[in-house]
Amino acid sequence: MTNMEKKFEFTPRLRYFTYALMLIGIIAIVVGFTTDPERGWANLLLNNFYFLSLAIGASFFLALQYITQSGWSSAFKRIPESMSAYIPIAAIIMVILIFGMNSLYSWINPEAHAFDEHEVHLIHHKSPYLNVPFFIVRLVLYFAVWIFMTQMLRKFSLKEDMEGGLVYFEKSEFYSKVYIFTLALTFSLASFDWLMTLEPTWYSTIYSLKNFVAAFYHGSAIIVLIVLIMHTYGYFQFINDAHWQDFSKYVFILSIIWAYFWFSQYLLIWYANIPEETTYYVRRLQGPWAVNFYLNLGLNWIVPFIVLLPNYFARKKFILAIVIVALIIGQYTDLFEQIMPGTVGEFKIGFTEIGTFVGFAGLFVYMFMRTLSRAALIPEKHPLLEESLHHSGH
Amino acid sequence: MNNTAIYGVFESEETLLSAIRSIREKDIKITDVVTPYPVEEVFEALNLKTRIPALAFMYGLFGLLATFGFLYWTSVVNYPLVFGGKPQNTLSFVIVIFVMVINITIASTVVTFFITEKKGPGAVPKYEYDGMSDDKYFIIIEKDEQLDTESVNALLKAGGAIEITEK
Repeated sequence: MTNMEKKFEFTPRLRYFTYALMLIGIIAIVVGFTTDPERGWANLLLNNFYFLSLAIGASFFLALQYITQSGWSSAFKRIPESMSAYIPIAAIIMVILIFGMNSLYSWINPEAHAFDEHEVHLIHHKSPYLNVPFFIVRLVLYFAVWIFMTQMLRKFSLKEDMEGGLVYFEKSEFYSKVYIFTLALTFSLASFDWLMTLEPTWYSTIYSLKNFVAAFYHGSAIIVLIVLIMHTYGYFQFINDAHWQDFSKYVFILSIIWAYFWFSQYLLIWYANIPEETTYYVRRLQGPWAVNFYLNLGLNWIVPFIVLLPNYFARKKFILAIVIVALIIGQYTDLFEQIMPGTVGEFKIGFTEIGTFVGFAGLFVYMFMRTLSRAALIPEKHPLLEESLHHSGH
Repeated sequence: MNNTAIYGVFESEETLLSAIRSIREKDIKITDVVTPYPVEEVFEALNLKTRIPALAFMYGLFGLLATFGFLYWTSVVNYPLVFGGKPQNTLSFVIVIFVMVINITIASTVVTFFITEKKGPGAVPKYEYDGMSDDKYFIIIEKDEQLDTESVNALLKAGGAIEITEK
């Protein structure tokens, strides 16, 4: 193996590039907060949740690979590992967001908002769960679990590089099992807490599952995109057609699962036709929101489903890259749809939105590259590495 | 049967694949390969082409149109049903269509496969051997005048066959 294949170098050029992105982000956030604080907070929440969901999705991907003892992915497992380095940053930003709670969450002071008497009563009824101290306790708890588990998996992985053997693989497998159970609970509640309560009188049980699947879906897609980009720059040269095929399958099947959960939520609300549930969709199907609504469905399901269906396309890297770019926008539209109508209220997309996204992307890429450059790119003592290097077909 | 065939029996996927490759290099036609489970590499090594996926897609499309047509005719045209004040021709179809597309596609594909491969209930197997459809791997080469039996046997032997039989 050449030196380039062994270690990823975080060159000053890349570093300055991410700094530039972060600078744009800071300007956009400052502009957002000075012109319209509510819009600024909403953007902060949206982008933080966006990149948190990618990190969570990647860590879930990693845990699944351990649990299923998958060999094919072991050579690039440093990528999901490094992606989860964003979780502590997300924790800091969520703590900052606590200061913006008053302008984001109308359940804190329902009397000050345009709720009718019955709705105010409902919100008060929810107060044993939905109150500020408990909200903060839960927030700390979620991040404590995620940071602890991802750091443990990272630690075992690095120790394995030094010592080898099966001990750390087995430990990682055990921690992964604990992780997916705790993650299912904590991430579900987190999506309820942070996104669904933006409109406190509306509720949907499958909401958390949908967000969990979206995180897994888009996290995996980003892993594929990163492997693809690094492959074109000379890393991971062992990757063959079978790997690309498996990547495509992963994205393809997750697109179906995503659509399944999206539709499960939509269909049940459509069928039951209860006013307190349908208001959510009625609002999102009017005016400019409707564009976003159909864009969300199109980018997250129709594009990947149709494009990746033929086997011929599934192995073309260029096509896979285009699909993933569509998914990057798709996840944004999905969160935009969930967050913006309940906070900003009007359909506004401008420099604040795009700039904040660019800034957060820079932060995410910075954390990712910094973590990636700190360890060997290919985990040489991983017990299943050979299987990944000579992966074929099944 | 007027034609006899050479049966090469293998114990593992790897030996089978290397034997297939070395036989293909000599331009000898392999009539059939039997494995206990699907092995993707065999398709690649034999350079097989199949139109079943394209056909399955067409069946799926047919299933979509047929189910939609049926639902539309029964619950909109022939006997209009109104339930819950919903528009008639909408989302309530989706789940039925989804399930029927899967059903129609799978059933038609299996039937097509049986017909094209002359398999299925009551079919007489063309090649029979002890341990076939058990845990062994087989290469079957049908004999004709041009076939150099000696070299085929040598290739199979070199490839790691545990048994080579003609019958």
